[in-house]
Amino acid sequence: MIGASLPRPDAVGKVTGATAYPGDLVRAGMAHLAVVYAGRPHARIRHIDTSAARALPGVLAVLTAADVPFNRFGLIDADAPVLCDDVVRYVGDRVALVVADDPASARAATALVRVDYEDLPLVGDVHAALHPDAPLLHPHRPGNIVHRLQIRRGDPDRGFAEADIVLSETFRTSWQEHAFLQPEAGVAWVDDDGRIVVETAGQWLHEDRRQIAAMLRLPEDRVVVRYAAIGGAFGGREDLGVQHLLALAAWVCRRHVALVWRRDESMATRHKRHPFTIETRWGARRDGTITAVAARLLADGGAYASTSQEVVKIATLFATGCYEVANVALEGLALYTNNVPSGAFRGFGSPQAQFASESMVTRLARALGIDPVEMRRRNLYREGSIEPSGEPLPPGVSVRACLDAVVDELARQPQSAPPAGWRRGWGVACGIKNVGYSFGYPEQATATVELSGADVIERAVVRTGVADVGQGSHLAMRQIAAAALGLALGQVHLISDDSAATPDAGSASASRLTLVAGRAVHDAALAALARWHDEERPACATVQFRPRATTPLAAADGAGRPNYCYGYTAQALEVDVDPATGACRVVTIISAHDVGRAINRQQVEGQIEGALAQALGYALMEEFQMRDGQVRTAGFSTYLLPTALDMAPRIIPLILEHADDQGPFGARGMSEMPLVPFAPALAAAIHDATGAWLSRQPMTPERVRAAVRRATAGEEQP
Amino acid sequence: MIPAAFEYFAPGSVAEAIGLLEQHGDEAKLLAGGHSLLPALKLRLSQPGVLIDISRVAELHGIEAGDRLSIGAATTYAAIASDPAVLGGCAVLAECAGQIGDIQVRNRGTLGGALAHADPAADLPAVVLALDAAIAVQGPAGARSISADDMFVEMLTTALEPNEVVTRVTFPVLGAGEGASYAKLKHPASRYAIVGVAAYVRLHADGSVAAARVAVTGAGPRAERQHATESALVGSAGDAAAIAAAAELAGESMEYLGDIHASETYRRAMVKVYTRRALEQAVARARG
Repeated sequence: MIGASLPRPDAVGKVTGATAYPGDLVRAGMAHLAVVYAGRPHARIRHIDTSAARALPGVLAVLTAADVPFNRFGLIDADAPVLCDDVVRYVGDRVALVVADDPASARAATALVRVDYEDLPLVGDVHAALHPDAPLLHPHRPGNIVHRLQIRRGDPDRGFAEADIVLSETFRTSWQEHAFLQPEAGVAWVDDDGRIVVETAGQWLHEDRRQIAAMLRLPEDRVVVRYAAIGGAFGGREDLGVQHLLALAAWVCRRHVALVWRRDESMATRHKRHPFTIETRWGARRDGTITAVAARLLADGGAYASTSQEVVKIATLFATGCYEVANVALEGLALYTNNVPSGAFRGFGSPQAQFASESMVTRLARALGIDPVEMRRRNLYREGSIEPSGEPLPPGVSVRACLDAVVDELARQPQSAPPAGWRRGWGVACGIKNVGYSFGYPEQATATVELSGADVIERAVVRTGVADVGQGSHLAMRQIAAAALGLALGQVHLISDDSAATPDAGSASASRLTLVAGRAVHDAALAALARWHDEERPACATVQFRPRATTPLAAADGAGRPNYCYGYTAQALEVDVDPATGACRVVTIISAHDVGRAINRQQVEGQIEGALAQALGYALMEEFQMRDGQVRTAGFSTYLLPTALDMAPRIIPLILEHADDQGPFGARGMSEMPLVPFAPALAAAIHDATGAWLSRQPMTPERVRAAVRRATAGEEQP
Repeated sequence: MIPAAFEYFAPGSVAEAIGLLEQHGDEAKLLAGGHSLLPALKLRLSQPGVLIDISRVAELHGIEAGDRLSIGAATTYAAIASDPAVLGGCAVLAECAGQIGDIQVRNRGTLGGALAHADPAADLPAVVLALDAAIAVQGPAGARSISADDMFVEMLTTALEPNEVVTRVTFPVLGAGEGASYAKLKHPASRYAIVGVAAYVRLHADGSVAAARVAVTGAGPRAERQHATESALVGSAGDAAAIAAAAELAGESMEYLGDIHASETYRRAMVKVYTRRALEQAVARARG
């Protein structure tokens, strides 16, 4: 059962089209919503005239800020208006919501909502946000600062003085669009018990419920959130998208309402991965020992807080990668701008930080004449290593084992030549990413297991609110319960998609569900089993699992215990580069992951391969672009995604199983990790092939060609 | 994404189509494969009152082989790409047509439509220029022939007079000592040319270059001949050094269009790279 590559029960319905996604829930007779967007990045609303829109035949209502009981929402800081009242802060801000009999009337009416704006000065990027005279997006946020932190350890000045070599570089990363298959959609109504019911897709039933209840000023038990099949998420459904709009319209109009977003609405208005500018300096001794790291990380948080505060903390914590450094001086800063908000995305600040840190380790190694693998081995985290925040790592530090596995596999690779005129190189990088919530955020998952039968257990019903965003968590929960109970998979039934019928399992994020919710299911199953043996019929148990506590980081120096579990990874990439055009083709990917214990091996491999495709897109071509607050890439003709033809012909996943002390059967999370080392491994491979260093991603052909030319001209340092 | 209302005609002959064009004037647009026009209609970038669908006019179809290849304007890319006479006598044309867009585009898009629309990133104008094809047109004043060199005036603008219809395009049949090639840097999503280069060469018996025609599409507002490259190559040995030197001269006097996918600087560099690649292959083919 545990480790078996059981096929996904939901696969056939998803392939044949039988499965209902949120867009499939729309029924005849429902009213349809359409959103009036700001369309301008920063402006004061002088007046909104909805009379012409309301007069359009078929239009039932036009809602504005005055119709929202509590007009603020947000995951951490409720700073985003549901419908803007005074100021719009990015082009995707919502100004009004049309309710009509049919989608065409609703859309047509949006053009008739007349908004009188007074444009305000634009804060176009982080540098503009930092300017002393910059206009403030949120008056109560001086300096346009969403969050600032510093982490200091040891004596950085002495560390740099002790170094035989010091290298500095500035790295830049771009926004990334989640590009899940299914754009946001859903339906909502008020049921016979007077509860507001929202059926949609998201990543955390109970958090969606909390925010909707707050908006409508209702007790949480008057709100029911249900998830249909979820067409991918990757962090992109963590912030409310259509959930609150559906709830508001159904509540105010007392109608069944539906909202199905177009792709361009989804792309132009929803949060993205944070673009970072990372200025960093690394010092090392001749023997390869890293003596000091300084880094300043600037993140464009966009118009609203979203999860910027947590992302910049994670990024800053990982500014030294997975290396033990005695002397560090790190500063992280997330800033408000008039750009699309940045928020959660697979990796959550970790890929950006480690593009810089892993690249610096490789550059130091090359400068010192040390093999990059050997350089890593001398500095990698090991059991008991101290993090920049000054505490020992949680037990189970396996990054060295991941690197060794990659190096062993690398030695077995067949030799072949690149196409004529192309150059081939190999690059290696490691990675670390936390599993679960960090910095003292309350972490828990709760599950209820009920066992029934006559003489023997015939059936187990597991209740826990885990969102299966496509990663296979529903099957994983059932496999864990079946294994704990000694039942066949078919005897285990899971109820997971209804906030009124399940206990809170937390979000499908931070690679946490298998560990946290899986452990709650495991423990609830064993507790129910004990009651079964005590002759309870049916035997029922509810267990809340809370992993080791974490703490916030101290304001002065960042001291604290940030995380309770880490996932470790290492990768090697074989890359062909056409120096004439700058085109890169990834030929081979070796990707090693310590997953603690694979619950379903096929699903783990699927997660690795899927994340690698996303990583390849992020590293090579995906570049969400804004200029002057306007979106330039709101479709797949302008925002380039990798296809099957872009993927490496050879992908070798290596699954290591060093049991985690908290996860069920030793499992730890893994779904974000393949994204972490990919871009720096690619940059290292490009350097190996051409001598060029890339400091900016995506590494488009144009940028690679320019870097190759600079390297050829001898302008580059080693 | 719904076009404005229009009136629709499907004439049975070119003469009838010209009559309709004269009758409706600026209101009317010719519809062939529709791969450029229909998106423009749906986005309401274009709102003609009248569409004249010439895709089923019999005299605009068909490929006639002889000393030269004569191809009806309404012939689809797919038909060109798979035609034995084209594959045998003018393989570069089949190659080019066979890589345009995707299968759906190739099954609908037409030769005449591509030339008349003159999209700056379309592939076929480069091949038409490099092969010195002749474009037969018919209008109220009768029939005439436009040489490839005169056809592409500026972005989306050709030498066609109002109410003229492209009827056929005539390509040479390549023989011994001749070679042609099309090399392209394609946009990853649309597969339009970011830079497309078509090259034609004819060699003397001693292997030196007797004639060369090179044309670039995609990089700028219109498809354009590269005379400096051609002149440098003619009379040379046609070896790698000569090709590289000639390719360095490509794109020097062109106007460029940059966008979020490729800057003007990058396109300028890629014109040289793809000119070299197209010429190397054309010469290799000419040598047999």
